[in-house]
Parts: sequence; structure tokens; C-alpha cells
Amino acid sequence: MTASDHAPFLELKAVTKQFGGLTAVDSIDLEVGEGEFFTIVGPSGSGKTTLLRMLAGMETPSSGDILLKGQRINDLPANQRPTCMVFQSLALFPHRTVGQNIEFSLKIRGVAPAERRVRALQLMRQLRLPEDYYGKSVTKCSGGERQRVALARALAYDPQILFFDEPLSAIDYKLRKTLEKELKDIHRETGKTFMYITHSLEEAMVMSDRIGVMRAGRLVQVGTPDQIYTTPKDKFVSEFMGEVNVIDVRLGTNGRVVSDMPGGSFAAPSLPAGFERGHLVIRPEFMRFLRRAEEAENSLVGRIYNEYALGSRIQYQVRVGTHVFVVERLRQQSFAGQLDAEVLIGWDARDSILVRD
Amino acid sequence: MAARTQRWMPWLIGVWTAAITLFIYLPSICGLLASLTQSRYFNFPITKWGLVWWGKTFASLEVRALLETSITIALIVTAIAVVIAFFGAIAFARFDWKGRSAFQKLVLLPIFFPQSVLGLALLLWFNALGIETSWKTAIFAHLVWVVPVVTLVISIQVYSFDPALEEAAFDLGATRWQVLREVTLPVLWPGLFSGALFAFLLSWGNFPLSLFTTGADTTVPEYMYAKMVAGYTPGVPVLGTVSTVGAAILLLGGYGLILLVRRGRTGAA
Amino acid sequence: MAMAAERVGRSLAGWLWRPGQRHAIPILLLLLIGFAAPLLSILGFSFAPPRTFSLWQLPTLENYRTIVAETFYQSFLWSLGMAVVTVVILVLICYPVAYGLARTFGRWANLVTLLMVLPLFVSENVRLYGWVLFFIKGGVLLGSLKSLLGIDVESVLFTPGIIIFGMVYVYLPFMLFPMTLGVSMVPREVTEAASDLGASRLQVFREVELPLAMPGIVIGCLLTFVLAIGAIAEAKVLGGQTVIPVTHDIEIAFTYAQNWPLGAALAVLMTLLVGGLVLAVLRRFDLDRILGRR
Repeated sequence: MTASDHAPFLELKAVTKQFGGLTAVDSIDLEVGEGEFFTIVGPSGSGKTTLLRMLAGMETPSSGDILLKGQRINDLPANQRPTCMVFQSLALFPHRTVGQNIEFSLKIRGVAPAERRVRALQLMRQLRLPEDYYGKSVTKCSGGERQRVALARALAYDPQILFFDEPLSAIDYKLRKTLEKELKDIHRETGKTFMYITHSLEEAMVMSDRIGVMRAGRLVQVGTPDQIYTTPKDKFVSEFMGEVNVIDVRLGTNGRVVSDMPGGSFAAPSLPAGFERGHLVIRPEFMRFLRRAEEAENSLVGRIYNEYALGSRIQYQVRVGTHVFVVERLRQQSFAGQLDAEVLIGWDARDSILVRD
Repeated sequence: MAARTQRWMPWLIGVWTAAITLFIYLPSICGLLASLTQSRYFNFPITKWGLVWWGKTFASLEVRALLETSITIALIVTAIAVVIAFFGAIAFARFDWKGRSAFQKLVLLPIFFPQSVLGLALLLWFNALGIETSWKTAIFAHLVWVVPVVTLVISIQVYSFDPALEEAAFDLGATRWQVLREVTLPVLWPGLFSGALFAFLLSWGNFPLSLFTTGADTTVPEYMYAKMVAGYTPGVPVLGTVSTVGAAILLLGGYGLILLVRRGRTGAA
Repeated sequence: MAMAAERVGRSLAGWLWRPGQRHAIPILLLLLIGFAAPLLSILGFSFAPPRTFSLWQLPTLENYRTIVAETFYQSFLWSLGMAVVTVVILVLICYPVAYGLARTFGRWANLVTLLMVLPLFVSENVRLYGWVLFFIKGGVLLGSLKSLLGIDVESVLFTPGIIIFGMVYVYLPFMLFPMTLGVSMVPREVTEAASDLGASRLQVFREVELPLAMPGIVIGCLLTFVLAIGAIAEAKVLGGQTVIPVTHDIEIAFTYAQNWPLGAALAVLMTLLVGGLVLAVLRRFDLDRILGRR
């Protein structure tokens, strides 16, 4: 057994990219396993696109190493890398048909037309594109169809890694949900390594094996969707998940934490070592309305000041002093509160998380 | 494209472009050199350098008259062309009206038409109408060619002009005239300014149309051509250099002005 | 009858007054009087008896017969041939520069554009005469060669080659700018995708860049070709009398030969040729999309 047998499939070592004075990607270390669906999540400007482009070969790292199966590929140009990218704009060849787009990589390699056609039709079937689309101009295809053509084109190349640069960001909700599921199916069917970037954590959670959260060029946290969701490392990651309740706290007595809120000493989950100050994070679904303070370990008095019906859930904004809490309940749960009414809200310590800054 | 072989390509393109630029300006350089001789004939390398001919040219009454004629024609052409082209550009780029597509092609036609033939045609036409050719007919001739060009230039600006701006102003109570003054013209002015520059320079430098339609009057290009063919003096390259440098100053100055105003606007906004 | 005419008149006036149409009126009037009418008078003259100067005569086909019978077709062929060669040379020369302007130069693109545009505003004769000063015996090139290296060579002037050189020189911007527009319309991500899918640089050029830039290239070729056919200054200034393109023939007919009708007939034929070409190709293009309509 040589060292490269134990080498991770894709490894990034201190990969950095600078544009003039701006550091877009700041010393990223990462390992991605073969066949994994890994998603990088982050707000715009976090450097995720730059990182992906470096992996795909369209940019060169300023420093650091990118290793594929133990081989350094920093200087390998995009057309020699065994990787393929699905662009945000899809970048389909507008002057070519669906079939010609899909077959492009095969044509470049000199594969015979008949063989190319067989492979293209095969991929079209796999991606649920009707066979008669073969000769159709791509400019006449719908958004969802173009997505599939772009994916088929990338798969025809038979890459070891497929990169996706926010391909679903410009698509309406319903189509996006369908395509998310289809992408996941394709991933399972082909067994290839997928690296995906998006700014929507929800999208990442549906499809990924593991997620990496990026912010200002750095990887803040890497983990499974569940890990990221239940144990976010810091305030940024936890707020990235969507609406959460965050209370600034500092160390109190008896394993409790204290905040500047009326009634402000709370039972906390296990305190990390050396914890002095930080944030208490409680998800809206773990906040509930109480009839009596004793029903939960922590409770606060507040006033309902907004109510949103969000489909199967109903969300309330409850004002406690100057702080606003978000409380959610399922529609079928009964609740007799109204706007402006005084209510008691609460949560259990084990349903909250303590994070640092 | 991160391949090693890719890296020399931008450099190669740069060198090629520099060579082309040199190619383009070499005649002007030669002209400048030829104007700096003291002798009457051109022999390179120049043995006696001097600004003699520059002085002689500008002191010459004949040249002064020429300059006056050329400038007058150019100024009047500019004024009229911008007005007509302004309306033409709006018709060109806006209002999906029937026949607009045909209109566009029609307007562009004179630009491609050989100017010498157009000049001759206009001469014939003036003759048929019994009009005597002079600098006034030259203005008309210039307009026929210049207005389509300026229309094209202004339409490029009109294309990116959002009609909703005018509608908003109208909606806020402005009269049509106020809309024009407060919204349309200020937004379009870079296009109008460029158009005016183009009109002036194209008229100033025009030879084929002037040759046939100025009649007894003469413009600078006509004079220069006559001297090129017979009776060469270094006054010719003097005027040539003046034309080139003048055009450069006007264009660079005009472009600089537009940049400044644009920066000022976005700064204030 | 009068009522119907009045109604037609009113509806015509109404149609004319719609915004698009009425803005077009000034320029249309100008072109009607200054372009269409003179061309019509040329057409008229082409049917006049040779060597006459009045338009109002009985028509005859004498001039056209003369053109076909005598060697005028030679000048047509020269004009066409030289134009084609000019276009081909310009395509090759200009593509790298267009690519640079659209892709490589970045902030410098504007400066380079300005430098390339500037010569258009200087009279053709002035610029071509600069080349005369360069190439003539005792001029910049030959004079330097003689005095520095002692080489005495014949001047390149007054040959067909130098005329084409001059045409390439004059019409370069007209090929460059449409081409640049064409190249800029190739989406960068599409070329990246082609490379990502394994295509070499040459393959990316052949499969993606060239086809997608083609509209710009075609317009550049058309524009240059049409202008080059109408070229006259290069042949006169640089070429002396070695080659007489059709435009020069027309001028000679009008001036030295004092044969306006013949000149007119030549002009008509030339116009038909050029006009037909322009309309045929322009018909396929949507000017709005190219010039950037939103």
C-alpha cells in the first residue's frame, strides 16, 4: 500500500487566491471523498465561485496546492483536467443543437458520429429529455430543459468531478425543487463526485452529503447537513440557516448564562470549556407558547406583534422588551393567541445551542 | 485558460496591435517630418530643418481664406446635422413603427455610397436645377453624407435611453418642451456631442464631395490635393499635420470632456 | 370623389404625424432631395445621348452599349478584384486586434479604440500623401536606405500592390470595429465551457469563437467591401495611372472626356452592383440587436 492509496480523492491545502490587494480565497484546507456530494454554501462575495473556478482550472491559485488523487493539479489547464463545470449561465453553445451540445466533448476527442449519437441519446434518456430534442436548437428550450442539456453535456465528458456554479439560482421555486431531486438522483446513479455551490442552505441540505460554509474567503465550518444544522460553530453559521433567535449572553452562576434581558438568567446546555461570552441560539421551532412558566426550563414574557402564515407553519414575532423572538408552530397545533396579546414563551435548555462569536 | 501556452497570447496580441498602430500613424509622422524642412522640395533625410514653412503657411492670405471657408462650412454643417440627426436618431432607435426597419437601411445607404460618385451626382443635380455651385452647395452636399453618420452615432445613445424617464417626467406634470429640455437632451447629450464632433471633423476633412460641389470656392483638402498633384510645397504637410493634430485634440478633448461630466454626474448622484 | 381623397389625405397625414414617422421626416426630406434625386438624375443622364449635357432628351441605350463593347469592364474587374483582396487581407490583420479590444486590453481598450478612430477624421488624401512621402524616391524610406545603407531601390509607388496597401490602410477601421463588436458578443463562459469540455485553443476558436463572432465579421467584410469598391483616392494618389478603377473612370468621363451620360451609365451600373449587395446582406441582419436595443 503506497501513500497515495490513503490520499483523499480531492485535497486542498492552504489554497489562496488574491486579486491585487483583495484576498478572495483565504488559505482553504479541505478534503473531499470520492463519490461525495459536497456543497459549499456562503453569501455573495464569500469566494465560493473563485474557489470552484480554481478547482475547475479556470483560475490559478496564488498559493497552496490542489491535489487530485495525490497529484498536484494546480497548473493543469481546464481542458486537460478530468473535471467538468456546469456554469451558472449554463454556457450552452447557442449556435448548436441539443445533440451537438451534448456530444461536444466526444467530437473533440474524435469519437465517430454514430457512436456519439448513441451516447447522447443515452444521456438524454437518463436526464429525461425527449428523444426528438436531439436536433432542436438550444435557444428554443425552456429553462429546465437547458439545465438538463448542460448536465448531459458535462456527463458526456465522463469527468471525475462535476462542478456546479449555482445552476438553480435563477429558476422558479417549483422547478428548482424538481431539479434538486433529479440532481440527487443523477448523483446516485452515476456515483461521481459532485461539488456544488449555492447561497441557499436549504438547497444544500436537500442534496449534500457534506456542507462547507464559507465566509469572506474562509471555510468556517464543514460537516454533514445535520451537524451544521444542530451544532453551528458560530453566530454567522447559525444565522445562515435562516431565522433563529440569538441572545447575547455571558457566563453566569451554576452553569447558567446571563443576558441583559428582563428575566435574563437562562438554563443553558453544556457550557464549552472557558466560555465567557457568546450567544444562545434557539430555533423558532423549539420556541413554544406556554400557559405557565413551569412548562419549560426557560421562559419570557412578551407581546405578539406580527403573525405570518407560511403554509404548514405559522410564525409569530414576539416582542420581549427591545428584543424580537421568532416562534413557530404547526398549523394544526391549537393556539389561542392574538396580535398584541401578552404571552409566555419558552424553551428547554437542551434545545438551545451556545456559540461563540 | 490557465495553460502555460496561453500566457504569451495577450502579449503577442499587444505587440501586433502596437505594430498596427505604428502602421496607422507612420504617414502622419512622415507628414510632420516633411513639414519641418527649409527647402521647397522633399528629400529625406532632411538637411535643413526649420519651421519656415509653418510660418509661411499661416501668414498666407490664400491659406487663411481656405481655412475660413473650410471652418465655416464645417460649423454650419455641424449645426444643421445635429438637429436633423437628433430627430432621425429617435426615429431610428425608438417607437416600433412600421417601416422602421426599411428606414434604418435607407438612412445607412448614403454612408456606403462612393463619395466621388455622390459628389458628381450632386453636381449633375445642381446643374439640372440651374443652381450655381459654391460653398453653400457644398454644405448641402456634406449634409447628405454627414447626417446619416451622425444619426447612427446618436442612435447608439438613444438605444440605451429608457423611454420611461420621459414618461415619468410627463407624469410629474412637465410639458413636452420641458421634458425635452430637462430629461431628453441632458441624458442624450454625450451622443449629441459625439455626433457634433463627428459632423465637424467629417465635414472639415471631406474631399470628394467638396471637390465637385464647391465651385469657385476652395476648401483646405481641395487645395492640398491640387498642390499634391502639381506645385508641391511643404505647406501641404503643414496643413496635413495641422488637420491631424487638430482632429486629435478635438477628439481627445471631447472624449475627455464626456468622461469628466460622466464622472461628475455619478459622483453627485 | 373629393371627399374620399380628403379622407385619404387626412389619414395619411395622421399616419405621418405618429411619433416614429414624424421624427423621420427631416432626414427623409434631406435624403430625398440630396440623395435620391441626384441619383435619379444620374439614372436619367445615363439614358441621354453621349456627350450631351441636358437631362431633358429622348432616352437611348447608347452609353450602356459603349460600356459593354469597350474595355470598361476592365475597370469594374479591377475595382472588384482589389476590393476582394483588401477585404481578405483586412480580415487576417484585424482579427487579432479585434480580439484584443474585446477581450484582452481591459482598460486600455478605450485608448486603443480612440487611436484607431482618429485617422478617420483626417482627410484621406492627407493620410495617403504621407505614404507618398514615405515611399517616394528620396522620401523617408528610400532616402534613409540610400543615405544610411547606400541601397538604391526603385520606389514601390505606382504599382497595383501599393494601391491595395493604401486601401488596406484606409479601410482598416471599418473592418476592425464591426469585428470587435462581433467578438465581444461571444459570451466568455461559453468559451470557458468549451475549454472545460476538453477543446484545445484552436478547437475553441474553430468551434465556438469564430461561429459566434461571425455576424460582426460578416458586417465588417461587407462594409469594407462596399467602401473599397468606391475607392478612388488610393489609385490616384498612390498608384498614378497604373490602375484605373471604375470610380476613376466615372470621374474621367465627367471631367476630361466631357461625356456626362457615359459617366452616369457607369455610375448606375456600379450603384446597382453595390446596392444590390448591401441590401441582400443587410436584409439578414437585425440592426437593433447588433446596436444594442434593450
